[in-house]
Amino acid sequence: MAALSAVPRRSEIVRTQRERGGWIAAVLPIHYPRALLRAFDILPVEVWGPPGVDVSYGAIHLQPYVCSIVRNALSFLQTGGLDVSDLIIVPHACDSLQGLGSILIDFVRPKQPILPLYLPRGRRASDLAFLADEFRSLYRRLEEITHRSPADAELMESIRREEAADELLAQLHQRRKHLPLTDIQLYRLIRAREYLPVEMFSELARAALAQVAETPRQGIPIILSGIVPEPMSLFESLSDMGGLVAADDLACCGRRLYPRGLSDDPFRHLAESLLDAPADSTRGHPIKERLEHLLQLSRTSGAKGIVFYDVKFCEPELFDLPGLRKGLQEAGLPSATIEVDINDPLSHQTLTRLEAFLEMIA
Amino acid sequence: MSVGGLLVYHLNVNVLGRAALRVQRWQAERKAATGVSRWKGEYLAPPLKIAPRTKELVARHWLQGRYANLHRKVAWVTSGAPIELLKALDFYVLYPENHGAICGTARVAVDIATVAENAGYSRDICSYARTDIGTMLSGKTPVGKLPKPDLLLACTNICQTVLQWYRVLAHHFNVPLILVDTPFVYYDEATDHAIEFVKRQLEEAVPIAEKVAGKSLDERKLKQAARLSKLASQLWLEIMERNQHQPAPISAFDEFIQMAPIVEMRGDAVTVDFYAAMLKEVDDRIAHGISAVKNEKKRLLWDNLPIWYRLRYLAELLGEHGLALAASTYTNAWGELAPLIDPERPFESAARTYIYPILNRGTGHKLATMKRMVEAYHLDGVILHSDRSCKPYSIGQIDQRDRLIRDCGVPALLLEADHNDPRAYAEEQAANRLAAFIEMLE
Amino acid sequence: MTAHGTKGRMAQVCALGIDVGSTTVKIIGVDAEGNLAWHLLEQADPRVEDQVERLLARAATLPLSSPPLAGGTPLVATGYGRKLVRQATRSVTEITCHAKGIYRELSHGGTLVDIGGQDSKVISINSKGDVVDFSMNDKCAAGTGRFLENTARRLGVPLERLGQVALSALEEVSISSTCTVFAESEVISLIAHGIAVEPILRGLHRSLLKRVVAMIRTVGLVPPLMLSGGVVQNQAIARMLEEETSETVIVPRYPQLMGAYGAALIALEQAN
Repeated sequence: MAALSAVPRRSEIVRTQRERGGWIAAVLPIHYPRALLRAFDILPVEVWGPPGVDVSYGAIHLQPYVCSIVRNALSFLQTGGLDVSDLIIVPHACDSLQGLGSILIDFVRPKQPILPLYLPRGRRASDLAFLADEFRSLYRRLEEITHRSPADAELMESIRREEAADELLAQLHQRRKHLPLTDIQLYRLIRAREYLPVEMFSELARAALAQVAETPRQGIPIILSGIVPEPMSLFESLSDMGGLVAADDLACCGRRLYPRGLSDDPFRHLAESLLDAPADSTRGHPIKERLEHLLQLSRTSGAKGIVFYDVKFCEPELFDLPGLRKGLQEAGLPSATIEVDINDPLSHQTLTRLEAFLEMIA
Repeated sequence: MSVGGLLVYHLNVNVLGRAALRVQRWQAERKAATGVSRWKGEYLAPPLKIAPRTKELVARHWLQGRYANLHRKVAWVTSGAPIELLKALDFYVLYPENHGAICGTARVAVDIATVAENAGYSRDICSYARTDIGTMLSGKTPVGKLPKPDLLLACTNICQTVLQWYRVLAHHFNVPLILVDTPFVYYDEATDHAIEFVKRQLEEAVPIAEKVAGKSLDERKLKQAARLSKLASQLWLEIMERNQHQPAPISAFDEFIQMAPIVEMRGDAVTVDFYAAMLKEVDDRIAHGISAVKNEKKRLLWDNLPIWYRLRYLAELLGEHGLALAASTYTNAWGELAPLIDPERPFESAARTYIYPILNRGTGHKLATMKRMVEAYHLDGVILHSDRSCKPYSIGQIDQRDRLIRDCGVPALLLEADHNDPRAYAEEQAANRLAAFIEMLE
Repeated sequence: MTAHGTKGRMAQVCALGIDVGSTTVKIIGVDAEGNLAWHLLEQADPRVEDQVERLLARAATLPLSSPPLAGGTPLVATGYGRKLVRQATRSVTEITCHAKGIYRELSHGGTLVDIGGQDSKVISINSKGDVVDFSMNDKCAAGTGRFLENTARRLGVPLERLGQVALSALEEVSISSTCTVFAESEVISLIAHGIAVEPILRGLHRSLLKRVVAMIRTVGLVPPLMLSGGVVQNQAIARMLEEETSETVIVPRYPQLMGAYGAALIALEQAN
């Protein structure tokens, strides 16, 4: 795949941004206003783990029952992984991220300013108003740090660029079966949105979409649900077992397919877009809505089963699972649950479980 | 609500129930007067004289619950929820967390949680939630019978987990869930837009609650509920502050048990009377030189939730060594915000009262609170219960502990356990750690 | 070497199944009708590949089907080490294989509980023999044979007598530790306090079974309840499982061979 071998690596992009004197924000999971940062010429680089760090550093501050996404992020920071960033944004998606944000501010105190961001858990008018104000507050802090003040017009321009890229991203998701890409190639491309400047991402996405094939890819179709697909070797293992990810409900990917906002006010516009994103366990959606979303995904994708691939200790996910699985079962859709520590290679047991599930639904 | 239902309720709760509970209380009071304690009498003070009254109040509350569906609208709420609105609309208010604690103390939590676990709820989720979901699925409870909710009210000021938990309840019971989302306060003060957000949610909760209650909110009743809430909280705060006296008249273990009314009957007149009586007894103890630990040598702070299934063991162990658990950040939480309640401006003040509980504030703020308490209560050590089920309370403890040792010069123990699930409590290992800590104090 | 056959004749082996477990390795040969024709069971050798070669060499001395099948006798591998069996035409998980084996053996569906040395599983099988759901305890030793092995060692009871001793207890002590390692500490503490071996051992069995029952409830108990796996040799397991579930537990004739049997049946299907 000529286009795919050109997916630049995170380190390259970071270096380029540094060299041109641009700002870099390390952004922790999950939701944040990308367009707002780009309007300040800040490149957001997301931190999902990463896997493969020395976790003993995280253990200095965090108990073992805190998930590996949070623990790895702290370990990464402590081992210099975030040294290239000028600021660290910590959205509030759960109690563990709340705790991390707080200890970074109060105890760890890295050299970078910490910018927490609270995400409201409803979709009422009051939530919208609050989130718009929270983004305004973020704007003011970014102003202080960068000494820049992008006008509304610039903000809207940045929003439009990101929305166009999100459109392409949505198409990648929708047409995935017809793209001549293996799952791991597809996800490398999708996840490049986590750090690639929007212009580069859009170019790669368009190139991939131009290669849409007539015949769909073969494999036992499943929906992959959870927070983040790490370790990425998961996709290779799934392919080896004859599986195919027909759709995803991952917080990192499918749940961040943001629709366009409506308002002329950029902050409100961003808030609308975020609040209207697909049902997410970390944003207070009722179980029924999540179930409907999964059933809809299975109808459009032809998936025969759902794999809930979760990071151990993730309470938002764990609370929803029994209700979801029951509803899915009643609708004739089998599901399997997997729990991982993102720092560990997939265990034999996990792979067996996946394989047995695929054998069952084939 | 049928007339028949009303009669059954009235008969069972107000006539028979009341009488039966009152008899039980008299019997208990007579027994207490003999000064015989079930807990190690040679080290610990006799039980509080008010204890039978607490039991009566709590039992009455659950008795009302048993028949509540016949006669009243029922709301299940989180412990930090703004309940004044519900009180004013005459809801029977039930606290699943409190019910969970009762199950933990009664040693039936594992049995009930197993029902939830067998239904697929992971052991890694909060043990209160697992206990409650177990009761939801099986009906099993040590308090007789829990009434079904007509309304759910979840406030995120204690954690996000409650929202996840209450979504499960809403899905199961198919009743409205009112969300009061209180943005986390990372810095010294909540932002204006956060306070505005909470205020707006409280106002918007009114029509939803009114619809379920089938009546309109009476402003006066709301103010009255806020007034009673404030009074009870102030009395509770005073009671806890009496423990600055050396020796401490009561222990945090007493507080864990006596806090039941302030948690589950806040806004009721009986609660105010209750704590007024308890304050009097505490003052009485001080006047007569009665202390929680007979031979108080050192004084400790407890951080995080109690270990409900090991209260007696811990009280006796510490008591044996002359260690008085004089204060806790947990019980303090129900008193420290009393000054913020303004009965004349219920919604405005509620927005602040409910955004500022200790669990909704940064880890630095909790450390500052603990340091203040070490000072004010003349404390010699701190036990930080690293509660596996409670991430908002537990994350930050490692750093807090280090700084307490460094800045206050007191030994501090990080004790890994769970507030309600004894399977997460490693007996031998915990005993070892406690023994080492006790040696450091001696 | 065990050969089965009808009318005193050694049956012809048409397909092979091998179950490379963490504690034992089992190999089975089936005849053209899928009947059990031959089997071997050995303790697992860390040098898995050598062991497999040896076992296959033994299989080669059997009366294999004549004329020999194109491509040699089909072999399906299952179990922990299935990917290491180069000679296998296919590898299939223990879940699918166990379901296949037990369904063929007992001719009905239900809920199969397999308690192995290092893992345990519950498989829900429908009336057609398909797997409809499964649950695996693969995270920690506390729901496996290893739990009993480790803790019983502390009590000085030999492995073969575990079940007998547990069943002889008139009382039972509750073990609260969930972790195998901590359970050992608890056992030591109990012994130090003068508690007898039998009630402790019975309590340990109870702990193991409670975990198994939790898995059964997760999947949903559809009778009949069936039991397989090495730990079945411990008589207390079946008995106490019946107590816990109030269901009769059916144990197949060769409880340790169901995985390999299923694998062989799959191999046979592929050949035809």
